Amino acid sequence: MRVKRVGLPLVNVVKLRGTPILQQLLLEERLLRSSSANWCIVNDGTNRPNIVMGLSGKPCELVELEPVIRDRVPFIKRFTGGGTVIVDENTLFVSLICNRNDVPDVQPYPRSVMAWSGSLYSQVFNGIGDFQLRENDYVFGDRKFGGNAQSITRNRWIHHTSFLWDYSESNMAYLKLPSRVPQYRLERDHTDFVCKMKDYIERAVFIEKTIKAVGTQFMLKELSLDEIDDSCREHIETTRLLTLDELKETLAKTTRSESIAQAV
Amino acid sequence: MIARRIWRSHRFLRPFSSSSVCAPPLLAPYHSQSFASPKSRPFLVPCLSLMKWCEGGGGSRSWFSNEAMSIDSDAGGGFIDVPLAQTGEGIAECELLKWFVKEGDPVEEFQPLCEVQSDKATIEITSRFKGKVALISHAPGDIIKVGETLVKLAVEDSHDALLVSSDTPGNVEPICSQPKLDTLVGALSTPAVRTLAKDLGIDINLVTGSGKDGRVLKEDVLQFSGQKQNVTDSAPSDNPFIRGDSVSTSFEDQIVPLRGFNRAMVKTMTMATKVPHFHFVEEINCDALVKLKHFFKEHNTDSTVKHTFLPTLIKSLSMALTKYPYVNGCFNEESLEIILKGSHNIGVAMATEHGLVVPNIKNVQSLSLLEITREMSRLQHLATNNKLSPEDVTGGTITLSNIGAIGGKFGSPLLNLPEVAIIALGRIEKVPKFKEDGSVYPASTMMVRI
Repeated sequence: MRVKRVGLPLVNVVKLRGTPILQQLLLEERLLRSSSANWCIVNDGTNRPNIVMGLSGKPCELVELEPVIRDRVPFIKRFTGGGTVIVDENTLFVSLICNRNDVPDVQPYPRSVMAWSGSLYSQVFNGIGDFQLRENDYVFGDRKFGGNAQSITRNRWIHHTSFLWDYSESNMAYLKLPSRVPQYRLERDHTDFVCKMKDYIERAVFIEKTIKAVGTQFMLKELSLDEIDDSCREHIETTRLLTLDELKETLAKTTRSESIAQAV
Repeated sequence: MIARRIWRSHRFLRPFSSSSVCAPPLLAPYHSQSFASPKSRPFLVPCLSLMKWCEGGGGSRSWFSNEAMSIDSDAGGGFIDVPLAQTGEGIAECELLKWFVKEGDPVEEFQPLCEVQSDKATIEITSRFKGKVALISHAPGDIIKVGETLVKLAVEDSHDALLVSSDTPGNVEPICSQPKLDTLVGALSTPAVRTLAKDLGIDINLVTGSGKDGRVLKEDVLQFSGQKQNVTDSAPSDNPFIRGDSVSTSFEDQIVPLRGFNRAMVKTMTMATKVPHFHFVEEINCDALVKLKHFFKEHNTDSTVKHTFLPTLIKSLSMALTKYPYVNGCFNEESLEIILKGSHNIGVAMATEHGLVVPNIKNVQSLSLLEITREMSRLQHLATNNKLSPEDVTGGTITLSNIGAIGGKFGSPLLNLPEVAIIALGRIEKVPKFKEDGSVYPASTMMVRI
């Protein structure tokens, strides 16, 4: 018999599968800004490869624009900070949107929220691999398998993660080596720096254990996408898909400045 | 986390030289030479426990906004610098992403001001105060160090507008009709325009701005200057040390309320005059000092360092303090005790366009000349940019005031309480001296008043 947990704050759990990442991010931004509930969104893979860049990123510095334009890879700018990833059907997403008052032990700091999430996932990966929090990443040993980003507003914050359950090398080729890398990366190239979660845990097991771990701190309530009230749309929306024209223009500008630099 | 920047302006110098100046306090600038590229240091902001801010479920205060009183709390309102708060241990800087407000907008307490990004997190910075946005210091894309001012707010209880007599005709009329905000925050303009106004001896606050948001442009200043020519000017506007407050366009009285530093200075100087002062004046032969400076200059391997007299004087003072620790003391009036301070934290008066500040170099007794030079340069740079931290301006044990830099022979300084001694240094001049036998020799001397 399950013991009824009283006194825990409520969290709405939304389980998605193959939902386009743009739709997911727009939903998350809306829930962060317009909702007052706690949310846990899990997306079991997105529908197709997408590049997702942090709020302040510059496309020309982060991706190889020519192949991206040539192959029409959707390029999304999200509302949280952090780095650039390429996600696809083998990327798992877990997002936690919380009222800071509902998690009073967690200071609304990037580091505190990161640490709290680390303790949550420690329960998930208990006994599996050598799970750790390293700077802003989730790692097994010293290899990254999950990247994080956050947005902290006055009373709420979001912490969302993209997990590399599996990835393809050819997709990774769209990304440039970022200028800002975590210290623990040292000089390692991509293949030596990341690892695949599938080598450690089953997909369904991971999702189930994650939701269970959230359930240790919240009272869970499952909601489907349709049940979410999306009437409130007054918030500022910063997540968006960059147009092909924008990418082409950026490429043109970059090529121009590079050739000027060379000529000089 | 609170970072308090309390400016203490305690010095009032009355120069003894013949070119006397009138009422507004003379600022004693320390501008020996400008240092090329001062050594950059991590901008440390004291960390307070966060528990203060997150008071369980009931706390509605925002942790990530900050207060910094830019003036003495007794002065009753004014401008508040909102610095970038510490967003997490080890995070030294953030990128400004966007503003939610613009200059002139009213803000409520807890209203979001802007969004910044540090590492992986975007964070909203909210206002702790109700007021109006006076000055936005950064643009989206700028990297801001923790502790740097993000925005200046005009807090609503400072209603000291620049009052001008209503009978005053002519050029002053347009200023009366300007929105109150202009007089509250001072004119908005670029540094270049401010310099132009200063060179022309114009108080930029009196100029009507024709730019965006009432911004004062170059043309506005030039036009105002042209208008000013037709009007009687009773103040000596060519004196660089008078703020242009005394420009009058007719023979009417003008009321200039004291705000900010001036206000604080009146209070602190009045307090200082209550303390019995003993003055001792001496002339010091500085031949050796001149030689030393020359030597440093010649053998300077580091092009970023510019050698001046002051670091040597600071170090010499420290060595003297070791011999006479009472001079490096602190007097407690209530208990009638003198605390002989262990560290020699030597303050150096610096005049900036924001006012007179006295940052101090800590632990001079343990520093080498080069370290002192570098630290001086760092403090000067911060002072000019109005970015001194509370740590930089507190904890001083004795003060040096370099009146010589502006050409006076000697000044009459007031104590920087609770210190017990202050030293005013005059200019080093070459003067003729007589030997025993009556022959004349040149000597570099400096007048010193303790």
